[in-house]
Order: sequence, then C-alpha cells, then structure tokens
Amino acid sequence: MKRFDCLRSIAGGATDALVVTSAGAMTLEWHAVRPSDGNFRVRTLGLCSSVALGMALGLPKRRVIALDGDGSLLMNLCSLPTIARMGPKNLIHIVFDNEVYEASGNKRTATAAGTDLVEMARAAGIRRAMWADSVDEFSKVVGDALSGNELCFIGAKVTTERTEVPPYPVDEVENKYRFIRHVEKTERIEIIRTNLPASYV
Amino acid sequence: MTAEDAARTIFNGLKTAGINLIATLPDINLAQLLSEVEADPDGIHVPLCREEEGIGICSGAYLVGKKCAVIMQNGGFFNSNNAIVTTLLQYQIPLLLLIYYAGDIGDRTFSTSGSVTEPVLRALGVRYYVMREPSDAPELIKRAQVLAEDSRRPVALLLTKEVLGHRAALKSL
Repeated sequence: MKRFDCLRSIAGGATDALVVTSAGAMTLEWHAVRPSDGNFRVRTLGLCSSVALGMALGLPKRRVIALDGDGSLLMNLCSLPTIARMGPKNLIHIVFDNEVYEASGNKRTATAAGTDLVEMARAAGIRRAMWADSVDEFSKVVGDALSGNELCFIGAKVTTERTEVPPYPVDEVENKYRFIRHVEKTERIEIIRTNLPASYV
Repeated sequence: MTAEDAARTIFNGLKTAGINLIATLPDINLAQLLSEVEADPDGIHVPLCREEEGIGICSGAYLVGKKCAVIMQNGGFFNSNNAIVTTLLQYQIPLLLLIYYAGDIGDRTFSTSGSVTEPVLRALGVRYYVMREPSDAPELIKRAQVLAEDSRRPVALLLTKEVLGHRAALKSL
C-alpha cells in the first residue's frame, strides 16, 4: 500500500478538517492532494498528535486529523494515554507506518521489529483503534470516522515509496499565520488582535 | 500566606490573565496549585504524561484561539527543550511556562537542576522572572502574558517555595 494513494483517497472527504502533519514527505504529499491553509506542518518529531490534540480540545466542534508517522509516534508514545484520557470525539489520529525513519535515511524503527501501534493505542485506552490493510479499507474507515463522532486511531502499513510532489509552499511562521487566519475566518472568531497605538486610546 | 492561599492567588492570576487551557505535570510543591486547576469548572485542564507533549498541546490550542499555560517542574522544562526550540520559537508561538524552581537557594535536593535552570532559559532567549512574593503573583502573571503575546514567544515564571507558600519548609532548614 502506498501512502500517497491513501492520502488521495481521503482528501475529498476531509475538506473542512484541520489537518496536522508530521515531519517528512507526507506533509508535502498531503498538501499536494489537499492544498489548504487549514494544513499545519509540525517540525518537532513526535509532536504531531499533541498539536492535533490541542486543536481538538480548543475547538471541540471542528474535525481535526493528525497525519502521523511511526517514528514520530514512537518518540511521543505518552501522547496515546493523554489523548485517551482527554477523549476528544472530534480527533482522528492516523498513523502511516512504513517501519523506517524515512526522513532520516530509512533506518528501521521499532515497528519493523514487531511493535504494534494499534495495540498500543488500544491498550492506552483508545477503544476505536484499527489497522486498515488496503486503500479501499483505509478510505472506508476514515470515511466512517469523519461521519462519526468518536475518537479514532487508524494505522496503515505503507511502503517507503515517495511520490514526486512540489515543495511545501510556506515557512513555519507563514504556516502559523495562514492557519490562524483560516481558523478565524471559518470559525468566525478573533485569535490575534493587533492593539491600537497608545496615542489612539 | 499558606500554600492553599498562595495557590489560589496564583491560579486567580492565571484566570485574570485570560488563561483558559492549562497543561500540568505534578511536583509535590505544586500540589495545591494543581488542585486549584483541577477544581476549575470553566478552563480546560490537560494532565500530561511528559512535559514536552504539553508544549505541543498548548501550541495546537493557541492556533485555534486558546490562551495556555504549562505548569511543571524545571526537570520538565528540560524535557521540553526541543519542543520549545523547534515549535514555540521556530513558529513564534506565545506560551506561559510556570516552572517550579527545584534546586533554588535553600533547597536540599536537585541543586544541579537549580544551577542550570536560569542559564538554559537565557541560552534559549526565553525571558523569565523569579517569583518570590505571592501577593505579586497576579500582576506578574498578567504582565508575562502580555509579554508572551506581544513578543510571540514563551515567557517563563519561576515558582519558588516562597511564592507557593511553602515558607515553613524553608524556616525548618
């Protein structure tokens, strides 16, 4: 199973979702299939699911998707019990498990030696946790999660194959501002306020 | 001021500053303050397993409009350094860090942690204030939040035993 095919299969159904991506080529692939200011790229390995949890808690009525990797989740495994404990119904945590640190020279991760991330999610207390074994099944379980109202963890074993896609169009700070303005516009809230100069007050 | 009164004063300062999501990891000296956080029916409380995830959670919540703080020991601040650099500083995200100052003057344990806390904060370029007097806490918290928002950077408040109302522990040295 190819990660790009999985991403392409869910892009159409995730139009309104805020999507947090982990380090590596997946970010570029996701942006190619769903270009949006509602995409946020995380640079700290491991923090993808934590950033997504914070968004899901802050906007409980908005769908939030974390597109995580095995190397990333393995670095921040304590995210699973924290997500389970907080139990946000609007969060879908997807992990593409290619069994290597893809952005770091394809060295093998612990999942290559048998660690099962879905079992770990379930053991942490996330009841709805499953593997998707084909692109069709992946598309279906993500579709079900999008139309449902339950915290969900979905694992997908994928190959290390990358797809040729354009570079990510923004740097970190522009990503932040565009994302915030996107949330302000779509949620009709004010997040960053610029104060009047003192002489006007 | 008792530890309970000090905790209430600090917590009310956080509320007045508009903080509405607090991520925490316990230290015995923070127990009363965390009890205040737990008892708050309005704000969101995220109990952490490791402090670095708290930096991520608060960053995500900030991006959708929350005002956040992390309450932790300085050991947790050390745990969080990569996230502070590659998320908070790199993306210019404001965040209040309330750090229990283990190994502060007069503390019998963690003196190594105490000796490197301020140098690490300085190395990161994170502005910080050492809090000693409970009655000053609300005003300092308010100003620290203004500074964090205005600079789009984290700001640290070092919580000593005195500001947490644990003077009795110091008197018995």
